[in-house]
Amino acid sequence: MKLDSKVPSGPLEEKWDRHLKDIKLLSPNNKRKHTVIVVGTGLAGASAAASLAELGYNVKSFCIQDSERRAHSIAAQGGINAAKNYPNDGDSIWRLFYDTIKGGDYRSREANVYRLAQVSNEIIDQAVAQGVPFAREYSGLLDNRSFGGAQVSRTFYARGQTGQQLLLGAYQAMMKMVHAGKIENHTRKEMLDLVVIDGKARGIITRDLVSGEMEKWTGDAVVLCTGGYGNVFYLSTNAKNANVTAAWRCHKRGATFANPCYVQIHPTCIPVSGDYQSKLTLMSESLRNDGRVWVPREKGDKRKPGSIPEHERFYYLEEKYPSFGNLVPRDVASRNAKIVTDEGMGVGATGKAVYLDFRDAIKRDGRDAIEAKYGNLFDMYENITGENPYKEPMRIFPAVHYTMGGLWVDYNLMSNVPGLFVAGEANFSDHGANRLGASALMQGLADGYFVIPYTIGNYIADTDLAAVDSNHNAFAEAVSNSKSQIDKLLNINGDKSVIHYHRELGKIMWDKVGISRSREGMSRAIEDIRALRDEFWQNVRVPGEANYYNKYLEFACRVADYFELAELMALDALQREESCGCHLREEYQSEEGEALRNDEEFSYVAAWEFLGVNGKLETTMHKEELEFEFVELKQRSYK
Amino acid sequence: MIPVRHAVTASTEKIIQPIEPTIMSSSDMTIHLKIWRQKNAESKGRFETYTLDNVNEHMSFLEMLDVLNEELIENGDDPVEFDYDCREGICGSCNLVINGRAHGPKHMTAVCQLHMRNYSDGDTVVIEPARAAAFPVIKDLVVDRSAFDRIIEAGGYVSVKTGSAPEANLIPVPQKKANQAFDYATCIGCGACVAACPNSSASLFTGAKIGHLNKLPQGQPEKQQRVLSMVAQMEKEGFGDCSNYAECEAVCPVGISISAIAEMRREYLKALFDN
Amino acid sequence: MPSFIEAAQSQVGRKILTGITGLLLVFFIIFHLAGNLTIFGDADAMNRYSMILHNLGWPLWIARIGLILVFAIHAYIGISIWWQKRKARPEEYDVYSSKGGPSKQSLSSRSMAFTGVILLIFLFFHINTFALGDTETVIIDGQEASDLKTLVIETFQNPLYAFGYTFVMILLGAHLGHGIWSSFTSLTMKSKKLSSSIYSIGVILAVVLALAFIFIPLYIFFTGGCGGLISGYDCV
Repeated sequence: MKLDSKVPSGPLEEKWDRHLKDIKLLSPNNKRKHTVIVVGTGLAGASAAASLAELGYNVKSFCIQDSERRAHSIAAQGGINAAKNYPNDGDSIWRLFYDTIKGGDYRSREANVYRLAQVSNEIIDQAVAQGVPFAREYSGLLDNRSFGGAQVSRTFYARGQTGQQLLLGAYQAMMKMVHAGKIENHTRKEMLDLVVIDGKARGIITRDLVSGEMEKWTGDAVVLCTGGYGNVFYLSTNAKNANVTAAWRCHKRGATFANPCYVQIHPTCIPVSGDYQSKLTLMSESLRNDGRVWVPREKGDKRKPGSIPEHERFYYLEEKYPSFGNLVPRDVASRNAKIVTDEGMGVGATGKAVYLDFRDAIKRDGRDAIEAKYGNLFDMYENITGENPYKEPMRIFPAVHYTMGGLWVDYNLMSNVPGLFVAGEANFSDHGANRLGASALMQGLADGYFVIPYTIGNYIADTDLAAVDSNHNAFAEAVSNSKSQIDKLLNINGDKSVIHYHRELGKIMWDKVGISRSREGMSRAIEDIRALRDEFWQNVRVPGEANYYNKYLEFACRVADYFELAELMALDALQREESCGCHLREEYQSEEGEALRNDEEFSYVAAWEFLGVNGKLETTMHKEELEFEFVELKQRSYK
Repeated sequence: MIPVRHAVTASTEKIIQPIEPTIMSSSDMTIHLKIWRQKNAESKGRFETYTLDNVNEHMSFLEMLDVLNEELIENGDDPVEFDYDCREGICGSCNLVINGRAHGPKHMTAVCQLHMRNYSDGDTVVIEPARAAAFPVIKDLVVDRSAFDRIIEAGGYVSVKTGSAPEANLIPVPQKKANQAFDYATCIGCGACVAACPNSSASLFTGAKIGHLNKLPQGQPEKQQRVLSMVAQMEKEGFGDCSNYAECEAVCPVGISISAIAEMRREYLKALFDN
Repeated sequence: MPSFIEAAQSQVGRKILTGITGLLLVFFIIFHLAGNLTIFGDADAMNRYSMILHNLGWPLWIARIGLILVFAIHAYIGISIWWQKRKARPEEYDVYSSKGGPSKQSLSSRSMAFTGVILLIFLFFHINTFALGDTETVIIDGQEASDLKTLVIETFQNPLYAFGYTFVMILLGAHLGHGIWSSFTSLTMKSKKLSSSIYSIGVILAVVLALAFIFIPLYIFFTGGCGGLISGYDCV
């Protein structure tokens, strides 16, 4: 298989414009004749559905939630980047592009990232026009802040609810087109398969989550906007219903899965309190601006934090990275938290936490100043843990947050299955091996508002799309496939619940394919995943039946896919014998513990082709070499 | 091992062997649950009672229900269905009515953010779905809130086509106005306002969206049609009238003020008299 | 674009009409109370007041018709809101309780429909008793007038009337306790500060009005109409 990125030629700055000039257009009359299926209604899905419908396509939209507005984009807190340069601090499209490429540790495609930076400004215009209430200055003009260690203030924000406000904007735009009759919207329906006819994506199969009915939907193109796969770890900051199933089923129908091992782990989350824990809550990284991270120097020190004297406290980030201290990037902070807790210096009942201490900040600035800055976060922490962070240090621990990997797409955001487009977190395209703060919202909306609507037109205009109907064999085969999997799951009737297996899988992934990875650990992980998967298929108990609302059946289908994805992630992490971005291989780090990237051998996208599961995952890797024409590759250093 | 008691009615309890207990600590509590069970929209519902003996104070309320479900599944029973997703108070999926209060006892807190430390050993907790004709029950505690989407569909947007937006800083919005609009825009669409309203009114939800968009310059061109259509749709969905109980504000997990309803009424009058 | 009739029937329109008619009724009640209090004036004050009202001619009829309309609209909408509320929640909660805080749920607000209906029924009896009751004729300022004052005093000597009236006036107080604030809120009062002042004023006004109304029958009942505050009544 040859993966052609279809990046247009010419100077970086002109690629997108040239491409727009070259792509084929469809007349309004013709657009009306075509149907586009959009799966998922987060930022990418809602914005794509709205924009495509405005252009005149008939859009069928699907989401698993009870309303489009609940997609997990809603939970994004921090903000959205754009190269507006309103603060006049030297930002530009080039700088946003460069920061994103560098932040991704040179593992993303230059042309895609440059386009992302180019359309970033239009996103802000669009959102403001929709009534998204971004923060403003007294002048009434838009406010910006610096985010995630960026040297310029380019982040637009809406209190701590930027994702919510942007999603509501896109959702409302979408509902406007529902009202206009151009979007047929379906909620509480889960995509279970992609239908490929004559080598092209021509429809999907969904399961109605209320009635359990299997339904067939035809279309001329399918846009997958189904988010990331962080929930493979069981515990993550993702919503409970976020899942990989739609993407994985497309993978099984031929779409290659790129860089599955790139997983971002967020350093400041509220730690696990017990086995019942169902999800992890993220607290803004801004806390590290004033909080000091430490653990007791002595292993297993169970004293209260207040009674541990200064010289017995190990401020490990400040000691190891004197110039950046507590403000080292996410991956470095996360990794070091794992190191100290693995060594037995962790705190709290589970030992899986480190302190984030505001004692000195409160002493320096006063309680009022700290409260003004972080009052909301402190309240949230107290609500969840029952501890008062003004008096005792917070306990924090890293948690899985975002997945940079995803289905492989070309410059048009089309996968290697013609007609299957992938947008937002579900694709692999823009963040390389690590995503910068406030870039996820930007990418989702860039893809949905400003990329997909053009590139889909080009595909439809350029492709022979004979009419298909849902009586085609391919639909019947897909339905029966999904049905038989569901029947199989319901009939196992074993004695462990789906959640048990998911939790166990999560533990394997967290321990061995999480913050830091080794050859030995991953080889073991692969064995463990296979064994657990076999057990799952023999011993899982799925309650109830398929013909009514049955959440645990939904989970079972999703966990079945995680079991396969997990193995692929481990294989991908194993083959990538370098450390880059969020991917840290213990064998490939300097003596000081710095990540060692290997541009000579690993400057490529690993796109995996699914061949089957037969006790083990059968898969083959294709490489898309990354060429850097415009930026010079540099090693990161935070010493 | 602590036995889990499960009973169809409070009087005929049967003892069922538990699955492996979750982390045990001295703070484990016994909680009696009385939960509404309903197979689907058509069938009649009823209460069932359960007793959980291993409730940890650090659990969230929904995690407590997860634990119950694990035990029900282990015992071959149907788990209790309830809506949830983000579990951090922003998606608006969860909306249980607990001891007669939408989202439970804490103010400004969605039920997914409610923790068991707010309960004591031996408490009885009654859990019901949001009850409203406009929110038919799907199963157990899961209700259909698509009426809210149809209210938004009727006019809760600014009709700006992708690509046609002017430069973002072209129209300054006074900070105070932007903040007021934001206060209304924070609505998470959970439906607690309807659940708690003695009249099952959707006025707070509808008013919040009208208040958000009509406050902003971007929302001006369509403001009249917006309020008229949304109010009409709200009635069509079968929600009750607002009697100014303000219970909606008390249960709103993001604390939206009933001034949103005043905004809606004011905008409605303006729309009427401008024409 | 809805017509005015349609708009008046919308949930917003109905509430605004309830607010307007409610406030008009509050004014009427204050006016009525002022009339009642003439019983404590000089011997002829109450009957003179009644005579002047009766002699107004056509303005009185306009006021009467207006008043009937206001009552009718207020009552009709109130009942229809109650009806819609039952339709909007066919299955009641097993347990229901207010979350407190900003909530304005109280015995007063929860019983608006009940107190409203009782007040409406009371209204018919009240009109029948006093406006249509048999009175003697007295001469005031050289003109014939009905002796309303004696009718009032003799009516309230009956414990059934005195305590029945008192009970209904307590309900009136309860209705106004939520009603006054609610009217302003329905008429789009937004400001938090104003809202809480109006709420307090509303409750105080409701209590004062109810007490003032109650004072008359109880005073008459316990003094037999012979107390020092009432002059011109022949005690037996």
